Order: sequence, then structure tokens, then C-alpha cells
Amino acid sequence: MLQKRIGPYPLGIWIVFIVLLAVFLGWGMQAYSLLNWDTAVDLGFQNERFTGDAVERAWAHESWSVAMSDMLWPLPIGIVAFIGLLRKRLFGFAAGLMEFAITVYFPLVFAFQRWTTYRSTAVVAIFLWTVPSLVGIICLWANRKSFTQ
Amino acid sequence: MLKPSVLTWVLVIFGVACIFLPMVYVQLNVVINPTSQKAKDMIIGSGEDYRDKTHMRVSYGIALADVIFWLPLLAAGSIGVLLGRAWGYVMWGVSGAISVYISIILFLTEREYVYPAVGPLVYYTIFWGFFVYWGVAAVAYASLRLSEVKLRK
Repeated sequence: MLQKRIGPYPLGIWIVFIVLLAVFLGWGMQAYSLLNWDTAVDLGFQNERFTGDAVERAWAHESWSVAMSDMLWPLPIGIVAFIGLLRKRLFGFAAGLMEFAITVYFPLVFAFQRWTTYRSTAVVAIFLWTVPSLVGIICLWANRKSFTQ
Repeated sequence: MLKPSVLTWVLVIFGVACIFLPMVYVQLNVVINPTSQKAKDMIIGSGEDYRDKTHMRVSYGIALADVIFWLPLLAAGSIGVLLGRAWGYVMWGVSGAISVYISIILFLTEREYVYPAVGPLVYYTIFWGFFVYWGVAAVAYASLRLSEVKLRK
């Protein structure tokens, strides 16, 4: 079913595009946070402020580092994946798998770190990124034959 | 079939000896007892303590995710590339991407604390550097090898 063609792409690849958009929503939140941290906390994109107590500042520093890392590595990989998938190229397939592996991995890290303090955020991260990314990996693998060099 | 090259063997041996086996030992210690001095000695530096509870939770979260997700991917990828299978290179590339990602995060969060404690040689090798070098090499080499094949069912 995931290989059934709908327009220019198989169904599975359309699903991958939707998951990538959800992932890019996350990168957008991270980018906005770097530009305006306090408003990002007000909007719920981040949990901790740099103006709180020592523990809150420590978490804020960790969250800032994650946001910056997201801009430096997964965001470019995601852009490469998007372009490659649009062009049905193998590098899009490989970059897509890398992107989704990262978006499976980090929400797990986040959940294990903050399950006791920010459980609702951890659950949202898992349902918004980890689960769709696992679906994305399955969809990519099911359609691996449709990519060319 | 992607016959293992000399570079494949070099990356497998380096990955298993310098990344996989040490990380299984270290991260299992952190997962089982994150507050033990043995775990702290390995991830922060000999005789060092966590800066605060946040530091401990960060270390614990990364360790558990590594044990559950990253290290199995790295192991499966290493087996796959030695078998000459495309999925091995896919898993290698994926685990390399994760290795680089977490290394960037750790550079930004921990370098100011860990680097002075361990010094440049240790930091840019076993503490942090190896993970970046292997990750970048795995992503690049996996991409190169995968470009040789047309993926089959």
C-alpha cells in the first residue's frame, strides 16, 4: 500500500513529506527560540528561562545547546533530504533516514532526562516527532526501490 | 553486494574498539547507577562530581537513549557492512549522523567543564573527538558506498 503511486510519488513518500514538515516545524520552533528565548518560553517552545534559579538556568543552557545543534546538523540534513526526495534521488533517501533517526533519538533523550519534571513536553515530543519519524523510516524503506543514483 | 573494502574494515575496527565497546561499558554503568563514582569518573573525569542534578539527568538521558537506540544501530550497521549489505551502510550512516549530532550538543553544553578537567589530548580523542571523527567518516563513507548500488527489495 505504501508503494501505491499517487501523482508523482508513492503514498509512502507523501507520508514522508508530511513527517518532514512536522520535523521542520520543530526546527522552526528551535530557530525562533534562538532569536527570542523568553517569548519562546511564553509560547511553550521551551521550558526554562535563563533568568530563573541555578537549576533552571542549567536546563536552559542545555536546551539552548540542543536548539543550536539542531540548526547546525539536522536542519541541513533535512533540507538535503527534502530536495533529494523531491528529485527521487538516493541521497534523499539516505538523508531522510539520518534525519528521522535523529528525530527518533533526541526525543528519547529528552524523555529520559525530563520525565519527572516535564512529562507532558516529553509525551508531546514523542508523539510529534518520534512516532511520526518511525513511520517515516518505514515509509522510506518500503519505497527504497524507487530512488535512483 | 558491497564487498567490504580496507576502509570498511578500518572504520569497523575503529568503531567497535574506540566507540562501541567503550560506550556499551560506560553507558551501561551510567544507566545502572548514574550516581556511582565509577560512572562519574568515566563520563566527567577522575574524582569529578556532577555539577548539579541537571547534569546528572542529562547524562542519564543520553546514556539510556544510547543503550536503547544508538548503540544497537551501530552494532547492526557494523555487522551489515561486513556482510556486504546495503542496509548495513544505511544503519552506519544513520548511527554516524546521531554520533555527530550528540557530539555537537555535548560540545556546546559540556566543553567548558570537561575540557579543562581532561586536557586537549584526551578531549579531542577518547572523550569527544573520536565520536565526531567516526561519525563524519561513517556518514561520508556510507553515502559513498550507497551511491554505488541500486537498492533492491
